[in-house]
Amino acid sequence: MNRAASTETVDTLVIGGGIAGLQTALDLADLGLQVAIVEKEPSIGGKMIGLSKVFPTLDCASCITTPKMAATAHHENIRILTLAEVESVTRHDEDFSVRVTLQPRYVDEDLCIGCRLCEYACDADVADEFEGGLSAHRAIYIPFTNAIPQLAILDPMECNLCGQCAVACPTDAVVFDQKPREIEITARSVVVATGFETTPMGAKEEYRGNEIVNVISPLTMERLLAPHGPYGRVLRPADGKVPDSVAFVQCAGSRDRSLGVPYCSRVCCMYAIKQAMLLSGALPFADITIYYMDIRAFGKGYETFFQNASAMGIEFVKGKVARIDEAGDRNVEVRFEHIDELGQVEERTHDLVVLSLGMLPAADLRDRMPISVSSDGFVTVPKPTIEPCRTNEPGIFVAGTAAGPKDIVDAIAEAGAAAMAVSGYLKKREPAGDAVCAVSAGMEIR
Amino acid sequence: MNSEEVKIGVYICHCGGNISDKVDVEKVAEDAGNLPDVTVSRTYTFMCADPGQELIVEDIEKHGLNRIVVASCSPSLHETTFRSAVVRGGLNQFLYEHVNIREQVSWVHASTGEATAKATTLVRAAIARVRHHEPLSLIRVGATSRALVLGGGVAGLRAALDLAVYGLPVTIVEKSSRLGGQVAEFGTVFPTGESGAELVRTLVRDVSALEEITVLTGARVTGATGYVGNFTVMVEQERGDGSTEDLEIPAGAVIVATGSRPYEPDMGEFGFGQFPEVVTLPDFIQILNETRADGDLTVNGKMIRRAAFIHCVGSRQIEGIQKPKPGRPLNENCSRICCTATLKAESDLIEKFPGVFVYDLYRDIRTYGRNHEEIYERASRDGVSFLCYEPATPPVVTMAAPDDTGNLLITVKDNLTAGMEIEVAVDLVVLAVGMEPADVGPLAESLKLPAGADGFLQEVHPKLRPVEMAVAGVVLAGTCQSPRDIEESCASASAAAVKVAGLLTRGHVDLEPYVARVNADRCEGTGICLSQCEYDGALKIVESVIDGRAIRKAVVNEALCTGCGACVAVCPTRAIDINGWTLDQFEAMVDAMCADPVEVASD
Repeated sequence: MNRAASTETVDTLVIGGGIAGLQTALDLADLGLQVAIVEKEPSIGGKMIGLSKVFPTLDCASCITTPKMAATAHHENIRILTLAEVESVTRHDEDFSVRVTLQPRYVDEDLCIGCRLCEYACDADVADEFEGGLSAHRAIYIPFTNAIPQLAILDPMECNLCGQCAVACPTDAVVFDQKPREIEITARSVVVATGFETTPMGAKEEYRGNEIVNVISPLTMERLLAPHGPYGRVLRPADGKVPDSVAFVQCAGSRDRSLGVPYCSRVCCMYAIKQAMLLSGALPFADITIYYMDIRAFGKGYETFFQNASAMGIEFVKGKVARIDEAGDRNVEVRFEHIDELGQVEERTHDLVVLSLGMLPAADLRDRMPISVSSDGFVTVPKPTIEPCRTNEPGIFVAGTAAGPKDIVDAIAEAGAAAMAVSGYLKKREPAGDAVCAVSAGMEIR
Repeated sequence: MNSEEVKIGVYICHCGGNISDKVDVEKVAEDAGNLPDVTVSRTYTFMCADPGQELIVEDIEKHGLNRIVVASCSPSLHETTFRSAVVRGGLNQFLYEHVNIREQVSWVHASTGEATAKATTLVRAAIARVRHHEPLSLIRVGATSRALVLGGGVAGLRAALDLAVYGLPVTIVEKSSRLGGQVAEFGTVFPTGESGAELVRTLVRDVSALEEITVLTGARVTGATGYVGNFTVMVEQERGDGSTEDLEIPAGAVIVATGSRPYEPDMGEFGFGQFPEVVTLPDFIQILNETRADGDLTVNGKMIRRAAFIHCVGSRQIEGIQKPKPGRPLNENCSRICCTATLKAESDLIEKFPGVFVYDLYRDIRTYGRNHEEIYERASRDGVSFLCYEPATPPVVTMAAPDDTGNLLITVKDNLTAGMEIEVAVDLVVLAVGMEPADVGPLAESLKLPAGADGFLQEVHPKLRPVEMAVAGVVLAGTCQSPRDIEESCASASAAAVKVAGLLTRGHVDLEPYVARVNADRCEGTGICLSQCEYDGALKIVESVIDGRAIRKAVVNEALCTGCGACVAVCPTRAIDINGWTLDQFEAMVDAMCADPVEVASD
C-alpha cells in the first residue's frame, strides 16, 4: 500500500521532514547518498510551512519553504515517507535496523491524484489544526494548500461513513479499511531531526491559556497574519472583533523553573517582535505591547530589527507577567511588575493576548534508539563545541531543534553540518579506493 | 527561431493572497489568454507548491506547450523552481520566462487598478520576450579537486578537517605563525568548561594526521582570479630566513574563515586608555588565567577587591548615542557571545578570588544558548550584583575620590532600582567588547566578495542560504559572517564544507549560459567591445588569414564572461548579444508594453 519496500537499505535515514530534516537530506543527496525521510505528519514542511513570514527578512514563509519541500520531493536520491513514525532504531553490526509504522491515510497513495473531488463531496466539518482550529476542513482533505505530497487523508474519527468521497473519487483511491503497516529499513546512518513542539498553552496555570479564548498561541497568530490564513485578516477568535490592543507575553514557557523549562527558547523574542511588526501593518491603529524580561535579539540583523520595531511605536515593557485574567467584553487583563515604573504592580487590559511559548522537544527518543537524551528531553551532544551534530552513538547524528531550541537559520546551518558529519562518517567506513574522483582543472565547454 | 509553432503557457500566481489581494489575477490571466499563440492561461494559489508545478508539467504534455511564463514572486526565489518544472515537462529549461508581480507590483502599489494594469503589462512583455527564447545549454567546466580555506581558526580547521575526511585535498592559508586563532587564548570556554587550547590541540592534531591537508602558516593571500571550480589564489608565504615565497594555489572552491577581532574601545570610552584599571574582557581573561589562585588578584600593581563588568561595549550601538569610528559604521549588531562570556568570567573570578565583589552592568542579558542560562544563574548565585542601564544613559566611569573604597567610580541609572542614579566604587572595570570582522584582505577585492553594512561578509540569503555567497564557489565559515560562539562557528564551518563537497564531488561545475555570443558575419573586429570588458580573458580579438586577407573577430571565453552586456552596448555593428537576453528580445518587450497601453481601472 505504501511505496516503501520492507527490506530497503539507505545511506541515511532522516527522522523528521521539517526544515532541518529537509536541508540535511538535500545536502546528503547532493553528495550522491541515498536518503529516506520519515515524517510523522501527512506532509513534510514541519513548523516552518505554517508560519506567516520569517524574521528578520520578512520573507513569506510559504514562499521560501516550498522550494525546499519541492526540491526534496523531486530529488532522485531522496524518498519521503509520510504518516510514518519510527518505532525503534537498533544497531546490527555497522548498520541500523529501523522499524517504522505507517499510519493509514485511508487513501491509496499510488492512486490518489490530489484532485480534491473527495473533499468537495464530503460534508463533515472538522476544526483545522493547521489553521490553529480557527477554520474547518472536511473529514477527507488535502492537509493544506502547499502540502507535499498532495494526497488526501481521511480522519476516521470525524468521518460519518456516507461514502460520498469514494463515489466522487475518479481513481477509486479511498480505502476505508486501511490498516497501520510496519516496515523495516536498513540504514547505514541516522539523523534525528524530530524538531520541537511549543510549550502547551495550559502549562503556566496563571496565564490561563486554555481557558481564555482571546489568549492565543504564537502559531495561531502566525496563521492570523498569513495572507492565506483562516480569516484573511486579523480578528480575535472569541467574537471576531478587530483587536485595537494586542499584547505579547514573553517567556511564557521558557526561563521558568516552575514549568521545568529553565532554558531560553531563543526564538520567542524575535517572533514576537516580527508578529508585532506585521500587526502594526495589518492594524495600523492598534496599540501593541510586548512584556519582556530581556530582549534577546542576538542573530545577524536582529538587533536592527528590534530597534526598528521600537521606532515604529511598538511598546516594550520590561516586566514579568504574573497572571492573566478575563476582563469584561471578552478582553484580557494582564497583571505585571512594571520595572521601569518603580517596580509597581499594574494591570492593563488588552483585546487579544499572545503567549510567547517556548520550545519543547517534539519526540521522546529515550526508549527508541541507543542515544542519550538530556533531562530536558533534548538529544545530548557530548562535544557540542567542535562536533555540534554528533550524538553519543556512532552513526547517529542530530540536527535542528531536536538538540535544543534554535531559529531557522541556525537549524539550517546545523543541518548542513549534520550532513557533513554523516558523509565523513560514511567515508571512514568505506574501504579506501572509493574516494572522490579527482579531476584536473581544464575546460570542456559543451 | 525555427519553424516550430509557438505555444505559450501563462501562469499567474496568487501567492496565497500576497499577490491576489492587490492584483486582479483572473483579469491578468484573461488578458494574456487573448494574446496570439497563448495556448493556456491560468491562475493558481501557490504556483511554487507541487500542484502548481504539476499544472505546468501536465499542460506541456497535454497541450504541447513549448514556452512557459510564470508571473509570481522575485525570480531570485523561484526561477529555478519553475525551470525544473519545465524540465520535468520535457522542455529545455531556458524556454521559460519569469515575471515578478509581487515585489515589483502587489507589494508596492496601493491601487488595485494600477497594480493589475502593471501586472498585465509586464506579463504581455514577458510573452513577447519568451517567443524569442531558444534552447540553451549550461556551460560545463572541469573543477579543481581542492578547496582553499582562508583562516586557521576553529572554523577553518573544522571545515578543512571535514573536507579532508570526505576525501578532498585542502590547503589552509593562515596569516599568523600558528593555527587555532582566538580560541587558543580563551582559557576555558562556555558552555562546556573545556580548555580552548585543548580544543585547538585536538583539531590541529587531527588536521596534521591527514595527508589531504596542506597547512601554510605565515601566509597571506595577495589576490585571486578565476571562477567557481577554477580559482587560482596567489599566496605570499614567509620563509624562515625572512624572505617570502610566492605560491599559486589552484582551488575549486574557497572557504572564507577569516574570523573576527575584539572591538577596540575608543580613547576615553568608559575610561578606556584613560585609566589603567579599565581593561577589555579578552585582556581580563588573560590576566585571570595568569594569576595564581593563592595570591591576590592585582591589575597594574593594584589589588582588586571590587570589579565591574560593562556589557555592550562596541555592540548594539545606536546612532546619536555612540559615535562611529572613522571609516567604520556603528556596530549596531549584538555580538552574541559577550553576555555569556562575561557572566562566565565573573563566576570564574569569584571562584578563584572569593573575596572580590562583582557588579554587572547590562542592557539585556542574552544567555540564549544551550546551557547558557545556567551560567547566568550561576553568576547570580555567586553574588554578582546586577545593574540594568538604558542605551541612552550609559554608565560613566570617573576617578574616585581618594577616600573612596575603590580607585574608580561608576555612575549609572539603574532600571532595577526604579531608575535611580547609583554610584559604585571599584578597583577594576572590564569592558565586554563586541566582535568586529577581521580584515579579509585582497581576496575580498579580487573576487568581489560582498560585505553587509556592518562589515561582515554577506551570505546569499540570511535565512535559507546562510553559508553561501553570491560569488559561486565561495562559502563562509565562522565569525567572518557575523558574531557567533565556537559551536555555531563549527556548525557553519561544516555546513560550508558540505556545500564545497557537493560542488567538487562531481568533478565539474555547470554555469549559466547567459554569456556573450558573437555573430561572426557581423563582427568587424573593431575591438571596441574589448575596451569595455571588465573581466580578464572573457573577450579577445582573434586574427586569422582567409584568402590572403587578415580577418579580426571577437571571441568569447564563456567560462569567464559574466554576461554583463557592456560589450553589447558599444558594438557598432550589433554583432554581440547575450544568450537569453538579446536585443531582439528587449525590443519585443518594449513594443509589447508601448503598442497598446493597458487601461487602468478605477478602484
